[in-house]
Amino acid sequence: MRAIPLLTLLLGGWFVVPAHADEAQDWLTRLGQAEQQQSFHGTFVYERNGSFSTHNIWHRVQDGKVRERLLQLDGSAQEVVRIDGHTQCVSGTLIAGLGDSPNSAARVLDPQKLKNWYDLAVIGKSRVAGRAAVIVSLTPRDQHRYGFELHLDKETGLPLKSLLLNDKGQLLERFQFTQLDTSRAPSDSDLQPGADCKAVALDSNKATAVKTAQTWHSDWLPAGFELTSSSSRKDPGTKTQINSLMYDDGLARFSVFLEPLNGAAVTDTRTQLGPTVAVSRRLTTPQGEMMVTVVGEIPAGTAERIALSMRTDATATQ
Amino acid sequence: MSREALQESLSAVMDNEADELELRRVLNAFDDVETRETWARYQIARAVMHKDLLLPRLDIAAAVSAALAEEAVPAKASRGPWRSLGRLAVAASVTVAVLAGVRLYNQDEIAGVELAQQSTQPGLAVPQVKGPAVLAGYSESSEATGPMANGVLQGQPGWHDQRLPGYLRQHAQQAALKGTESALPYARAASLENR
Repeated sequence: MRAIPLLTLLLGGWFVVPAHADEAQDWLTRLGQAEQQQSFHGTFVYERNGSFSTHNIWHRVQDGKVRERLLQLDGSAQEVVRIDGHTQCVSGTLIAGLGDSPNSAARVLDPQKLKNWYDLAVIGKSRVAGRAAVIVSLTPRDQHRYGFELHLDKETGLPLKSLLLNDKGQLLERFQFTQLDTSRAPSDSDLQPGADCKAVALDSNKATAVKTAQTWHSDWLPAGFELTSSSSRKDPGTKTQINSLMYDDGLARFSVFLEPLNGAAVTDTRTQLGPTVAVSRRLTTPQGEMMVTVVGEIPAGTAERIALSMRTDATATQ
Repeated sequence: MSREALQESLSAVMDNEADELELRRVLNAFDDVETRETWARYQIARAVMHKDLLLPRLDIAAAVSAALAEEAVPAKASRGPWRSLGRLAVAASVTVAVLAGVRLYNQDEIAGVELAQQSTQPGLAVPQVKGPAVLAGYSESSEATGPMANGVLQGQPGWHDQRLPGYLRQHAQQAALKGTESALPYARAASLENR
């Protein structure tokens, strides 16, 4: 008896999903290509709780080279200039030094892979920044990641608007263009960094980074998340060595930071900053007490479980 | 039909474990005032067992009747294979109505407990069983501590005050380097600097 409403739901769902899924995949493929092929400049807003900011972006694709400059328009003039995904200069408090870790090449959006962890669907049409857009939703298949709603430009496939939603459908952050011009490529002077943009020193510490990857691993990871980079740096303030690992599922990302406590009495914490959660848990290892901090755009419960699952290979072999 | 059998079925429906036969038995008997009173008593007994006294006024009979009234016409009008499909539809909607009723009741129970814990007002000890009103209050209260709540350090400041900003920044910037959607991680990183 109870199977009957379920059956009707399933049957109903059948007719709706497949056509849209393929279409959604095509749109995401276009999105992946757009930033490699399309020159544009525009203005966008970014909003999360407690923060609203406006930014300019200049993006030029010329002779296969992608040059990009981002500049915050309100408050402090945060600025980044990148060439082919490699950061050339940053302003203000943006951390330098982690500029080019060994495997920092930008990853291409892979809809085939995303399909395993998200339900892709075209859910409608909209208008953003005066341009016609298609709405593509990425609904997570488990509770370990957030959902996205992307409004993609019909003409170019560029993301005009991106919303991050939690499992209750609450909005965590909004990224939205208010104005976009794809008709002409930005000039050299548009892409010229400002005086405050400090050049990024290349990080040549490859050996340590590899070592880190071998020393630490997680006993449990949400399905689909893979290690994409790891690094080790000395904090200039506290003089301690901090290992960091970054994982992603092709869309969502989180970092794990591991720092020796050196006897400091510290409690476990949990902080939520808009879409980003930070969970700290103490971990006892043969080398002494460590603090494991997971930072990322994932649900707090998932971050907590990851923090509790970090192991050194020394403890794993025992 | 024996009184015991009906009571057993009622209890099964309440525990969400009724089979089709039992469900039909209960639905047939629901016009009876006595049956409805028994249902109400069972709910109170259950509430007491959960240390949470509510007065259930959930009248699923009305919802079921409405569902039947809506579905009855196409079921009668059609003949042949469509007729049995129509019946299935009726059965389905009845099940949904009953299950929804039970589910609604369970949610009220949870909300009731929370309200009782959060407040000392005697008036809240006996909330009316009105789904939407209580549910709205429930989601509101979860919003206050929810994800849009501002970043507040829970626990000891000091060590974390020193580290967290750096961690957040490093994560955001590394994400910006990896980003396929390049502007979004950059904007996240920049927004951390505006605090």
